[in-house]
Amino acid sequence: MNFEWSIIWRSREALLEGTLTTVLLSVVTMTIAIAGGMLLALMRLSRWRALSASSAAFVEFFRNLPLILVVYWAFYVLPELTGWQLDAFSTGLVALSLNVSAYNAETFRAGIMSIRKGQGEAALTLGMSEVQAMWHVVLPQAVRRVVPVLASTWISLFKDTSLVSVIGVSELAHVSLEIRAQSFRVLEMLTAMAAIYWALGYPQAKLVDWINRRYGHTE
Amino acid sequence: MNPVIEYRAVCKNYGSFVALRDVSFSVSKGEVVCLIGPSGSGKSTLLRCTNGLEQISGGAILLDGAPLPQTRAGMRAVRQRMGMVFQNFELFPHRSVFANVMMGPLTVLRMDHAAARARAEALLDKVGLADKAASMPAALSGGQQQRVAIARALAMEPAVMLFDEPTSALDPETIGEVLSVMKRLADEGMTMIVVTHEMTFARRVADRVVVFERGGVLLEQGPPRQIFDAPLMERTRDFLSHLDWSG
Amino acid sequence: MFDWDLSALEESWRFLLGGVGVTLGLSALTVATSLTLGIAVGVLRCYAGAWLRVPLTFYVDSMRAIPVLVVLVWMYFAFPLLTGVSAGPFWAALAALTVHVAAYVAEIVRAGIESVRPGQIRAALALGMSQPQLVMQVVLPQALVRMLPAIGSVVSVTIKDTAIAATIAVPEFMKRAETVAGQSYQPVQVYTAALVVYFLILFPTTRLIDRIHARVAHLGRS
Ligand SMILES: Nc1ncnc2c1ncn2[C@@H]1O[C@H](COP(=O)(O)OP(=O)(O)OP(=O)(O)O)[C@@H](O)[C@H]1O
Ligand SMILES: [Mg+2]
Repeated sequence: MNFEWSIIWRSREALLEGTLTTVLLSVVTMTIAIAGGMLLALMRLSRWRALSASSAAFVEFFRNLPLILVVYWAFYVLPELTGWQLDAFSTGLVALSLNVSAYNAETFRAGIMSIRKGQGEAALTLGMSEVQAMWHVVLPQAVRRVVPVLASTWISLFKDTSLVSVIGVSELAHVSLEIRAQSFRVLEMLTAMAAIYWALGYPQAKLVDWINRRYGHTE
Repeated sequence: MNPVIEYRAVCKNYGSFVALRDVSFSVSKGEVVCLIGPSGSGKSTLLRCTNGLEQISGGAILLDGAPLPQTRAGMRAVRQRMGMVFQNFELFPHRSVFANVMMGPLTVLRMDHAAARARAEALLDKVGLADKAASMPAALSGGQQQRVAIARALAMEPAVMLFDEPTSALDPETIGEVLSVMKRLADEGMTMIVVTHEMTFARRVADRVVVFERGGVLLEQGPPRQIFDAPLMERTRDFLSHLDWSG
Repeated sequence: MFDWDLSALEESWRFLLGGVGVTLGLSALTVATSLTLGIAVGVLRCYAGAWLRVPLTFYVDSMRAIPVLVVLVWMYFAFPLLTGVSAGPFWAALAALTVHVAAYVAEIVRAGIESVRPGQIRAALALGMSQPQLVMQVVLPQALVRMLPAIGSVVSVTIKDTAIAATIAVPEFMKRAETVAGQSYQPVQVYTAALVVYFLILFPTTRLIDRIHARVAHLGRS
């Protein structure tokens, strides 16, 4: 068997671009999904049944679907139903954001719920308003619980961006698979793809562990 | 009479922190020794060292005249001859009361099932919980859980029983039931080392009281009447005067 | 207004249903192999010597870093080139998903083991138990009960991950939906139906696991 590892070096520009797209997609998705998750969590905790029920339905729905199907669905069905004509990147962004927002909503809700009722009540007895109690007492405590979970969601998201390759978003996985198809250097390109993901993801996983040690397991 | 357990200048350090400093005393067969002293004075540490859950840093602990073995297998054999009761009961939550009591005989002694069963039944009866055999630990009150824990330790037919504040985590109403089980055990001639804050129990049941003070130092020891009524050391008197004598 | 012509689904429902069977079969096999491998790795990571702990930790953390799609594609296309062994997409998918999910299980197992209170271990030692005895009889049973919700998520993660096996042409439900959607020119109906089917599989699964957990939670509380 002869392998030609130089293909990787020769494809460095395309791979770099793909990597940047992966990072960009992750960052933008997370930004949208933090806002989306926050909104969904507040809806879920609201007193209005209609709001909390629709938030619950949204969250349960997207948490119980394979992301790759949501990606296909966003690509083939969404334009038909809505008339929007989005490019592949935006379509991938929509699918990822729907998915991650649902997960973040649960994270935020659990974070807020985990703060004992007594804490909020203690703040109210000090004469704080509900908003003040939320802002000064409940949220700061919730953040400590939420940050580690968000960090591991980030890692999942970073890996999940590879799934939008199926609709032709030219992120790292797609670029690698394309070069493989054109050059027939299958083993080399697939190994390179795995290695690049590993090189990017491994330190992030270690960072998440560190964040967990730092913030996790307090009380 | 030869002591069952003898502490000879036992030292225990955690890094540079000294938890026990030159502790020496001994416990004879059938004797009930109560360890008292302020929080952090090393009472639990001494029990854990006795049971080989911690290694001592200096001195020696002798069991029936022989130093505690340093090997893992040797230590296991020693633990089988000592029962230990913990402040938080530490019943195994995934097994029924009955299974908790049978666990030692079955897994450690490899006793056959019928014999283990008979032993567990007898012990649960002895601690007054025959009717709770099928319950799960979570369904029991603290006092009941602690009595099961005592039965579990007794199931190994130990030569010595170690108690580490067995009633400190209990509601006041259930403390009595645990203490009376312990008293009965003492009356039957069990050798016992009891770390406790229950001074009434110590006075009534102990043959000897050993007083520790901060820094892991043995302050004084003697029969309960001497310790409680006429302590030799000023600091013992100090410590006792700060205790709650109810119960 | 969109025209909901369902003829493609009417024609192909048997084919699609067969895909659901493959999805469930692959999921069940993957869960079984991953639990076995993952529990072994998790336990060894806690109790084995450093010579084994270090490579196992490296394996687990690597799988946390590499997307499952990448593992699947590599296992199907690259592994046979390297070794000359080629076993077809289904088995490649089983192997790849197992390697991936087992690492996830191993993390859960380790966290479960570490969450058992030290007092429980002391109590088992005080009874004279050996290390293997206390692991098997005291630590693992409690850890496993506590891990149930997380193990439940392993089941649903696995079912979702099998959909990615469509990319290496495993004829499971996702792949068949893709085929029908492409051939019938009715992607809207087919993908929407697929959405509903996956939800109907996954939602009750998560609910069932929550139920079971609520029932046995007290067994792990110490
Ligand atoms: N594993 C350990 N590492 C470091 N220090 C320890 C450790 N275990 C105990 N200590 C310290 O040793 C001292 C003695 O602890 P020990 O638990 O024996 O006290 P105690 O007399 O049982 O007190 P209490 O009445 O509160 O139970 C304490 O200051 C404690 O902080
Ligand atoms: Mg103590």
